[in-house]
Amino acid sequence: MSAQADAATARARGSAVGRFVFRETLPYLAAVLGALVVAGLLLILIGADPLAALGTIFSASLGSLGGLGQTLNRATPLILGALAVAFAARAGLLNVGVDGQIYLGAICATGVGLLLTRDTPALVAVPLVLAAGFVGGALAVLPAAALRAYWGVNEIFVTVMLNFIFQYLAEYLATGPWNDPRSGEAISRPISFAAQLPILSSGLGAHVGILIALVIGAILAWILRRTLLGYSIRAVGDNSTAARVGGMAVGRVMLVALVVSGAVAGLAGGIEISGYYQRLILGLSPGFGYMAILLAVLGRHRPLGVVLAGVAFAVLLVGSDSLQRSVRLPQSAVLVFQALILLAVLLATSLRANRRLTVAGTPGSTP
Amino acid sequence: MNAPTSTVQTDSARSATPAVVMRGISKSFGDVRALVDVDFELRHEEVHALAGENGAGKTTLMNVLAGLYQPDAGEIRVDGRPVRIGSPRAAIELGIGMVHQHFELVAPFTAYENIVLGAEGGGWRNGRSGRRAEIARLMEHYGLSVDLDAQIRDLPIGVQQKIEILKAVSRGARVLILDEPTTHLTLQEVDRLFETVRQLVAGGLTVVLITHKLREIRGIGDRVTVMRRGRVAATVEGAGLTEERLVGLLMGTDGAATARTNTPGEPSLTLEALRAAANERRQDAGESLLRLEGVSARGSVGDLVLADCSLDLRPGEIVGVAGVAGNGQRDLGDVIAGIQPIVTGRLFVGGRDLTDATVRDRLLAGIAYIPEDRLREGILPHLSLGETLVLGPHHALFGTSVVFDERRVDALARAVIAEYDVAAPDEHVPAARLSGGNIQKVLIARAMLVLQQARVGVLVAMNPTRGLDIGATRSVHRRFEGLRERGDAVLLVSEDLDELRRLSDHIVVMYRGRIVGTFQRPAFDPYQIGALMTGMATGTDGGPPNETGGGTGGAETTRPGRDSR
Repeated sequence: MSAQADAATARARGSAVGRFVFRETLPYLAAVLGALVVAGLLLILIGADPLAALGTIFSASLGSLGGLGQTLNRATPLILGALAVAFAARAGLLNVGVDGQIYLGAICATGVGLLLTRDTPALVAVPLVLAAGFVGGALAVLPAAALRAYWGVNEIFVTVMLNFIFQYLAEYLATGPWNDPRSGEAISRPISFAAQLPILSSGLGAHVGILIALVIGAILAWILRRTLLGYSIRAVGDNSTAARVGGMAVGRVMLVALVVSGAVAGLAGGIEISGYYQRLILGLSPGFGYMAILLAVLGRHRPLGVVLAGVAFAVLLVGSDSLQRSVRLPQSAVLVFQALILLAVLLATSLRANRRLTVAGTPGSTP
Repeated sequence: MNAPTSTVQTDSARSATPAVVMRGISKSFGDVRALVDVDFELRHEEVHALAGENGAGKTTLMNVLAGLYQPDAGEIRVDGRPVRIGSPRAAIELGIGMVHQHFELVAPFTAYENIVLGAEGGGWRNGRSGRRAEIARLMEHYGLSVDLDAQIRDLPIGVQQKIEILKAVSRGARVLILDEPTTHLTLQEVDRLFETVRQLVAGGLTVVLITHKLREIRGIGDRVTVMRRGRVAATVEGAGLTEERLVGLLMGTDGAATARTNTPGEPSLTLEALRAAANERRQDAGESLLRLEGVSARGSVGDLVLADCSLDLRPGEIVGVAGVAGNGQRDLGDVIAGIQPIVTGRLFVGGRDLTDATVRDRLLAGIAYIPEDRLREGILPHLSLGETLVLGPHHALFGTSVVFDERRVDALARAVIAEYDVAAPDEHVPAARLSGGNIQKVLIARAMLVLQQARVGVLVAMNPTRGLDIGATRSVHRRFEGLRERGDAVLLVSEDLDELRRLSDHIVVMYRGRIVGTFQRPAFDPYQIGALMTGMATGTDGGPPNETGGGTGGAETTRPGRDSR
């Protein structure tokens, strides 16, 4: 037996790298390629040059410093939102309330930013505003987390409902008490200048939010992999019944996972305020919450994968936005294009998953 | 020497071509070679026992025949014709039907609806009622009588099994594969199943019985094929097959495998010695390790699933719990482990009142639990073997530390893989990839970790050897004996009466959530126990369930633990 096992292990090690590349990346590359081909055919149908369009996507999003900065700024809330979804998902929970958490995070950040005076040192003001976003996000998810942990109420319903509440709260504040009368628009007064997020480099035009997102990603990865909390979260997410038999406080673990998830999403709201808009605006989140769910799935709920997916999607968003201007594509075509790539990658993901099931599908095991 | 040969000749004269021939079948799952160049032959109208340890490839081979898996290599002939069996549907068209270990019946449907389900034909309405006569004929022909209008959920496992068999036969199965059919059956039900199998064969069917239980192999197989590690070790005639020969074939007579396993006679000698030692020790260890006082619990719909149960486990004692599945044993285990709340009554461990303690506190107090449903309650399917292993022991292992020390977990897992002979490529393999027997090894190792970390320990084991092969079962039994020697207590819930009689110091019998009888070693009369299990003896005694001995000679009327209080 042991000789056999040794041989198997040796075989596995020998080809591990090759197999990793084959199994992990090839299906995705094939999927993206397939989507590009279909998208290209669509572009030809509507009379555009597919190769030129493809070139535009990459040149607009990565080809210039300005474009790159825009991509990084766009990637920040996507990454943080997707990290939030992925973290909750590891505990077996679906946080559909990222939008609401972004809004309450932004509201709290704006509130603090409005209170701060101009001569507050930036070293105090920026962390305060970001912390407000963080706390706001946690507060936004708290009702859903508590209901889920102690009464078993499905978190999906509660987070969706809370989205409306915080979105309309933001609307009320931006049009009512915090409204900037000089603008004539539904936006709040600007936050203190001191609370503005520093710029990464002047040419790039990107704020340091992307760095914060990466650090958060690293911290979440560390929590999941190297802490007892992370072990509990993964155990509860994988099999909550077994976790309960193993003496884990399943409800409390779910509560913590959701609150951390909400806080990370709220931080995204804080960064949007402090780094980008400097005011509370309507339409602060153009559906980041739903994109975040897709990105979390694409990144297979692992922080590194989520970061990569977030950056790739930001490239696509920024690049295809410019398609409207340069290739004169209708916006709907751009959306179709984005959806195609997502569908293809999702397909590749589920095909992989199915194959794994077949491999593990001996009668004694279940998915 | 002439007699067996002549039997073979008459057999082959009766039907020249075998019903099924499989030649050179190979099948791999990733790196695991599940079947290696397997030859298998089924004659018409025989009962063919397919035996082997867990993971030997029995079920995989039959899944190939039933069209669930496609072989990587090899050919299959049915009645001499080469065939390709691409799907279960193709298999049934060739007359091959399989009854899986886990039944595939729709609980709220009637027996009849289940039998015709999926075979109603194309249209909206046809087929639903038109086949009663045909099915009644089949029932008569094969001696399979069931109430066609009863709902599945009201029927005992043994009857559900008959319905599965009827389902296969009604679709034209000529070759019937039964995968571990006796796993969930009581002794009496096994006898009835074997009767059924004989009638099926008399009616012209060929039956493959996948099993690893010695008694069943020898009891019913006309021929026996033994598999070992994906290969066929031998195909032998069932008549005159000795237990020693069979064990030798199953375990492999070559190399390391035999060095590790004791000869059949040896463990029982060790057992007696251990028992004597434990008995001596128990006389001065009067204190109880685990005590239940009048414990009751409610099920999910508020019904009383556990009524006034009292138990007393002293150090170095194994108490067996006998009962037909679903009579509260599972609730008893859940209540002790803390998964289900106690409604009335109290629970003490080593003198400490743990009635309302959390699962975590109970683990830290030394209550180890081997759950009934290994996949649902036991493992973390997608996490690593090591992470499944420390689920539970992690409370004591890491204490209040924030950091989850992966290296420590991995080292522990490597040690367990070596010590428990777990067939796993490494300690990172997802638990769901392990076979059932290997999962159980991990869960037992986990329970041992909990016990090692505590001052005193109580192991609650729910059917710990169900589905395990002989080697693994023996090693589990030896571990339990080791616990007894160490002074821990074991509550062994099992549907295998032989196992209970072999290991237990006392056996309590559960029926409808109550403890209806207690038997003291050595007076373990299987028929008296069986009568109590099926509720036949309770009425005659009339007394409070807790204190009846079921009117048996060896049973005592009251539990010593209750008197001492």
